Order: sequence, then C-alpha cells, then structure tokens
Amino acid sequence: MSQTEYAVQVASSTAFSLIDCDVHNYPNSIDDLMPYLSARWQAYVRQSGFSGPPGPTYPKGFAQAARRDAWPPSGLRPGGDPDFARTQLLDAWDIDIAVLNPLYGMTAVHNLDFANALMRAVNEWTAHAWLDHDPRWRGSIVVNANDPAAAAAEIKRVAADPRFVQALLLVRSSAPYGKRQFRPIFAAACEVGLPVGIHFGGSGQPITACGWPSYYIEDHTAMAQAFEAQVISLVCEGVFCEFPELRVALVEGGFAWLPGLMWRLDKNYRGLRSEVPWLEKRPSEYIREHCRSTTQPMEEPDDPQHLLQIIDMIGCEDFLMFATDYPHWDFDSPARALPPAIDGAMRQRIMVDNAEAFYGFAAR
Amino acid sequence: MALRRVDVGPVDDFADGEVRRVEVEGRGLAIVRQGNAWYALRDICPHQGARLSDGRVGGTALARHPGDEVVLGRAGEILSCPWHGWEYDVRTGRSLCDPEKVRVRTYPVLVEGRRVLVELG
Repeated sequence: MSQTEYAVQVASSTAFSLIDCDVHNYPNSIDDLMPYLSARWQAYVRQSGFSGPPGPTYPKGFAQAARRDAWPPSGLRPGGDPDFARTQLLDAWDIDIAVLNPLYGMTAVHNLDFANALMRAVNEWTAHAWLDHDPRWRGSIVVNANDPAAAAAEIKRVAADPRFVQALLLVRSSAPYGKRQFRPIFAAACEVGLPVGIHFGGSGQPITACGWPSYYIEDHTAMAQAFEAQVISLVCEGVFCEFPELRVALVEGGFAWLPGLMWRLDKNYRGLRSEVPWLEKRPSEYIREHCRSTTQPMEEPDDPQHLLQIIDMIGCEDFLMFATDYPHWDFDSPARALPPAIDGAMRQRIMVDNAEAFYGFAAR
Repeated sequence: MALRRVDVGPVDDFADGEVRRVEVEGRGLAIVRQGNAWYALRDICPHQGARLSDGRVGGTALARHPGDEVVLGRAGEILSCPWHGWEYDVRTGRSLCDPEKVRVRTYPVLVEGRRVLVELG
C-alpha cells in the first residue's frame, strides 16, 4: 500500500488538480549559499565560522522539524534534496504547483549588511537550485524585514523572475507589520504586483504576548496570536487603505481564530473608529478583501461540521488555500487533511482555485 | 471465520527493538519486535494515513504532576507516527492521546520454527 492510493479526486474546472501553497526548501549548509555571496562575505563566513542563523528557540518534536520519512537517502537534510522532494511530494501527490517558502532566519542576524547579503543569496540559491530544477516549483522572495529599504529593493530585483510569486515575511517580527517603518516592503510588493506571504516563525521578541512559555507545544499553538496581531495591525494602521492592491497570504497560521477576531475588531470599530479614521469600512471587510489563509496546520475539531461553520463565519469562499508544509512533521496529507464534509465546489476551491486566482497561476 | 496464519519472514529479518513493514495480501503491517515479544499493527496511522513503520519505537515521557521528575518509561512499548507524532501502544494499538477513539488494529503474532506468523482475522 502506498500513499498515492489516496490520490485526491476533485472535479477540476482547470488544468490543475492540486496546488500546494507551503513547501520548505533549505540550504544544506552555508556552503550551498557561498556561490551567491560576494568575496567579502565569503571571507567573513570563513573567518567567523558562521554556519547559519540561530536555530529555533524551542527544540522541535522532530529533528529539523521534519517528518521522519522525509530524510533523503542522499544524506542531505529534509527539504535539502530537490530530487527527493520532487519524488516524495510533487510526484507522489500529483501536485501541479508548489510554492517554496525558505525559512532562512536572516532577521536573527544583527549585522544588517550581512543579513542582506544572506537574503540575496537565499533568493539566488532558490532560483538556481530549485526553480531551475522542476517547472512545478514556485519561489517566494525572502526579505530582511529589519531593513525595509533593502527588502523593498530585493523584491523589485527578484520579481523580474516570474517564477517568484510572493514576498515572504515571518510572522514573529520585531514590531507589527502595520507600523509605518515597514511600508516600503508593501509598496514594493504592490509595485511589482506580487502578494506578501506572512509565514509561521520568526524571532525578535518573546513569542507570546505574555512572555516566554516553556514548551514547543505552546510555541506552536500560540503562533496564532502572532498572526492575530499582524492582521489587526495591518488593518488598523491603514496599510490596506494606503495600498488598495495589496494582497496578503497568512501561511501556516490556521484560520479558526478569524471569525472571533473579525467580530471583536468590528465591534470596537464602532466605538473607537475615531482612532483610525482612515478606515472607510469595517475591519472585517478589509480582511476578506485583502487576506487569504493557507489550510495547514489544519484545524481538526471533533465534529467536522464545525469547520464548515467556521468557513461560513469567515464569510469568504475564496479564503482558504491548501498547503502541506512538506517536509515538516506537521505535514498535511492532500488526501486526508480536509474532512469529507468539505466536498464538491468548496473542496475544489480550497485545493486549486483559490490559490490559482490569488497567485495568478496560469494553467499550462 | 477461521484465523489465517500468514508467514511474514524469518525471525532474523526483524531487528530487536525496531519496526519493519511487511506486505501481506495487499495490506501493510508494521511488525515490532521486542526480544521474544512480537507485535503487528496495521501500517496506517488513522489520523492522516502515514506509514507507522516509518515511525519510531521507544518509550514515552512519564510524570504524574507538574514539577515531578519527568522520566522515560514504557521502553519499547510505544510506536509513534512519523508525521504528527501520535503515539500508539504496540500491544493494544490504542493511542496515548485518545485511547478509546484513536486506535490502530493489531494482529496476534506467533513464532514457529524461527518463522514469524501473523494471524489475520
């Protein structure tokens, strides 16, 4: 019995059958990036012994946060072997398009010039090692949020390659992304016509609003509160007013928290609107208009009908886009993540159509 | 219905303390050996369908109260899923997270003449 026996059946109105909005590719070591660093930074790496940004704050449940079956026979790390990823992910599940989100934590590198050099190197490496490898891969432009001007320049530089489909930020930032210091990033994304993905992870502050918890289970679960903070900030600071074309993908943050946030924010808007007078409509309307969310890690209520109710409460049938999070341990199976209660046109939208429209993927 | 005993290979094919997948009549089984004790579980995690045979055989952390010393117990009794880490008791197939509702089917295993036999229902 193989995993492929669960091949997803969705009634397709397009040439696509499955789009995966969150896959992770990793340099196996700093050596993978060295060809894309200047002589100065190559010398710096050799002299300092720099091997990569600091690792995760909390030890994960699994080495490299990877599925135990995602370690390639080649000896490379999970997400570090394009051939193996192609076989185990793209081919096994018949995926038409997969968006690569490199989680290289250059925002934890305090030397801005070095962090920016790493940023550019990761994007070059993604293009050569991955996007050239298989036409089904799409790239995300990693940016150093600690230097918004450099990040904006990188977005404009890399966007010339149409295989890159979004700019990528990590959700745990040094300050909420609605703050004016980050405007150049959103301006650049709009200028080149790309959405901004905000992904699970990051560093810079205690990871919850009340400080450092003890366990990875808390780290992983509490990630949703960082997403909530970013959505609230983007809306209230008027980012969507300033950039009416801006589109934001909330990646790996879940979605069941959205209805409660929308209700609370809309209610407060009635009485506190004068604080944020640039808002011309209810906060929830900005969220529905500008934001989308990926599915993984799928919310799994005991009663699957509750999921349908949540989706209904979000109030936007285009909102959810399927993602596996390969090669991570919390991988969602394309065949099993969505309960059978999500079927027909809704399943088709989540597995294919919503991402196709959001990212503007053209059928081959 | 009479039980059918299926030969899944010689004893020496199975390393002590580890899990290995065998395929019998189109169905995958995760065979776990602990010395002379043998266990067979259906090789599909009921959560999202991963192969349990790609998982890890080990123990689990035990502590009755917060602040107690956390110790590793139940050595070799636990098979954990390679994807999401759900833990199963190899003897019963019951999960540790939700023993009543989340279970993997198990099959009796016998050893005769240094051959490993699984009784399929």
